[in-house]
Amino acid sequence: MLRVENLINSFGDFKAVNGANLTVENGEIVAVIGPNGAGKTTLFNLITGHLKPDSGRILFKGEDISGLPPYTICKKGIARSFQLLNIFPRLTVFENVQVAVLSQHNRSLNLFRPARNMLIEETNRILKSVGLLDKANEIAGSFSHGDQKILEIAIALGNEPEFLILDEPTAGMSPEETTATMGLVKRLTVEQGLTLLFCEHDIDIVFSTADRIMVMQQGKTIIEGTPDEVRKNEQVQQAYIGGD
Amino acid sequence: MFKGTIHKKTALALVVGLVIMLILPNIIPRFYVYLIASILVMALLAMSLNLVVGFGGLFQFHHGVFYGVGAYAIALLLTKTTLPKWICFISAPFAAALAGLIIGLICIRLSKLYFAMIQISLGSLLWALAFRWYGFTGGDDGIHGISMPAALSGVSNSYYFILIIFVLCIIALFLILKSPFGSTLQAARDNEQRCEAIGIFVKRHQLFGIVIASFFAGVAGVLFVVLEGSVFPDLLFWTLSLEILIMCLLGGWFTFAGPIIGAAIMLSLRTSIGIHTEYWTLILGIILALVIFFLPQGVWGYIQEKLKLRKEAVAERGR
Amino acid sequence: MDIASTYGLSEIALQLLVGLSRSMILFIIAAGLSLILGVLRVPNVAHGSLYMIGAFAAYTVNTVVGGAAGFWLSLILAPLFVALLSLIAERALFCHLYEREHLMLLLFTFSLMLILGDMVKLFWGVDYKSVTAPEALKGAVMIFGLPFPKYNLFLLIIGPIVGFGLWLFVSKTRIGKISKAASVDRMMVGALGINVSWVFCIAFVVGCFLAGLGGALVAPTMGITLGMDHTIIMEAFLIVVIGGLGNIWGALVGALIFGITHSLGVLFLPQFAIIFPYLAVVIVLMIWPRGLLKSVW
Repeated sequence: MLRVENLINSFGDFKAVNGANLTVENGEIVAVIGPNGAGKTTLFNLITGHLKPDSGRILFKGEDISGLPPYTICKKGIARSFQLLNIFPRLTVFENVQVAVLSQHNRSLNLFRPARNMLIEETNRILKSVGLLDKANEIAGSFSHGDQKILEIAIALGNEPEFLILDEPTAGMSPEETTATMGLVKRLTVEQGLTLLFCEHDIDIVFSTADRIMVMQQGKTIIEGTPDEVRKNEQVQQAYIGGD
Repeated sequence: MFKGTIHKKTALALVVGLVIMLILPNIIPRFYVYLIASILVMALLAMSLNLVVGFGGLFQFHHGVFYGVGAYAIALLLTKTTLPKWICFISAPFAAALAGLIIGLICIRLSKLYFAMIQISLGSLLWALAFRWYGFTGGDDGIHGISMPAALSGVSNSYYFILIIFVLCIIALFLILKSPFGSTLQAARDNEQRCEAIGIFVKRHQLFGIVIASFFAGVAGVLFVVLEGSVFPDLLFWTLSLEILIMCLLGGWFTFAGPIIGAAIMLSLRTSIGIHTEYWTLILGIILALVIFFLPQGVWGYIQEKLKLRKEAVAERGR
Repeated sequence: MDIASTYGLSEIALQLLVGLSRSMILFIIAAGLSLILGVLRVPNVAHGSLYMIGAFAAYTVNTVVGGAAGFWLSLILAPLFVALLSLIAERALFCHLYEREHLMLLLFTFSLMLILGDMVKLFWGVDYKSVTAPEALKGAVMIFGLPFPKYNLFLLIIGPIVGFGLWLFVSKTRIGKISKAASVDRMMVGALGINVSWVFCIAFVVGCFLAGLGGALVAPTMGITLGMDHTIIMEAFLIVVIGGLGNIWGALVGALIFGITHSLGVLFLPQFAIIFPYLAVVIVLMIWPRGLLKSVW
């Protein structure tokens, strides 16, 4: 479904992504791992259109999407959550997700009917599936960090994506929250037939959730393979254990 | 249409308020009727500004331009052409919206301070044109003695007209803010990046917001001409735009009714203080400074916060 | 309209010189504004009011001391007075607001403008005031066979001197260099143990001094009235923006564009002379929205 070919992107002289390759098949769960600064978030930003690549291609369902703006890429079926919290703090939980749903149904330019009454079912369904339905009317900014991260994911789901990208979905969460969240994510992926791409620092999570793993170091893809293949790979061991 | 958006109590209060406003010209002196009409005009202008600044997060620092364009448009149409009056009335706000579209298209490519500066420079250009073009716009004298249809002449008649248009516009603005567009605009204010990521072409929505705000500013301009019967280049000068910003600040940026309260406070103070002293500007400056230091959420914003806290305290006690 | 036959080359050249000399005053004021904008990141709407106070203060010094001495003294005392005022405003009020959003800071400087405007009315009254240049600068010299006011010549000399002095301050003095660094990265400067708050204060006071100087210099060339603040601040801001925010050379470029287009306007379409600079600003901003020279931000 998604293929990244030899992607390069630099900030001035610094090559944040220097030859990244990735293939994600329909329905798979793929994880990207790598030490800090390996370029994982930059890679995600390139895929979702927040950055333009210097060279290389990104193909989604056979179509070249490199360099398109984020809102166009979103409409093609890719949704993402962000590493640093990126919700709408002044709106309620319900409104947070509803904005995405409204966008998805192309209602965002509707002027004269109250948004309150629109697409309630769809929004509530999403809230229910992530377990936030009972907090729907609270202001998002007042939530705990963990709940806000779940809201992040819920907003992404509002776009009814085929392909979901999660950037460190459990960052800053306690171990219980982490397990619960990843369990939720895996369940949703199966239930809604999503294809999932995520990155994480918690290696256990990655190995237990992902079908395949891509390892990045200094902007390059070192290896793509099943968890076993990756575990045995020498370069990976070097990257994580050797060196610093 | 309104289902679920206003509480019954608020709706009742508004209806009562409206009835009172309708009978006012019969009970209070003409001067106060004129004052209230002026407040309504300014309030509408401030509300239109708040749409893009408070709810849209844009640095619309020269919103007065669209007000001026609307006012000059109707003045010029009424005095220089022989088009039927009602066409002039309808076209003027659209002229303002067109100005909003053009200026908006130019400004929207940039953000924040640069957005503001281009808007100010474009607006200043328009001001300079109006100020100097004696032949067409009357130069720094402006245009005076614009005749209004009989139904609108006189303080009482113009008051009723202004009141009706004001109420209609406020309802429209309310609906717009509660609509999906309104939600999207506010979301874009809070987090533009996230909006793009959920499929929203933010710049297009913001431009749309500017055009709508310009339209209503143009309506306010038309109402000004109905009330005063003249136009001056001052309407296009940047100090007016800053004054409307102050009204929004005074009332509260993020509330719906804030700008109305701000306009009411500012105009009432200006009139009452102006009677006693010629140093109104000094007092306004001091009030503004005090508000910035101590009440940045505005008067109405402050009241709303207090009410919310009280509601929460009551709920706590109830548990 | 055949320009060549209505105006000879010398007329045009002379008018350009007049425009150039007016640009010098605009440059001094805009440089001060740019300095404040660059270091403090605050658009100082009160800058125009300080300019106006500079002019009125110069009037007072001229009236009290009188004669040539009065004029030269006013060039020093008026800006100092304005600098003192700005110091008080900064320490007492401004410095508490640096953490707020730009819009609030801008509105606060607007409130200062309102207050200062009325204070001028209070102390100096509403009448039109005028100052005459000292004997040495009255009259005209012949340039290109046409009379060129001596005072404008004086401005042409003073402008570069002030510009040079400002350049020395920013590049050579310790304080100036710190200000420049602070405008680019204030956190770093703070981390180096330097009291950023004082840096802001100094930059603000110097900027306002320049506004006062501009006012004192302009005093003999036009009527000193209330309302001077409104027009000059608009022009100064536009100049700063087309030059590049916080860039002092940009202020020079912007001022030159503004002054010269205005004189060209006076030559070709006198009724619409003021439109020329505004039009030039719009054109520049459409092509270089961030200004012609690099902005500090």
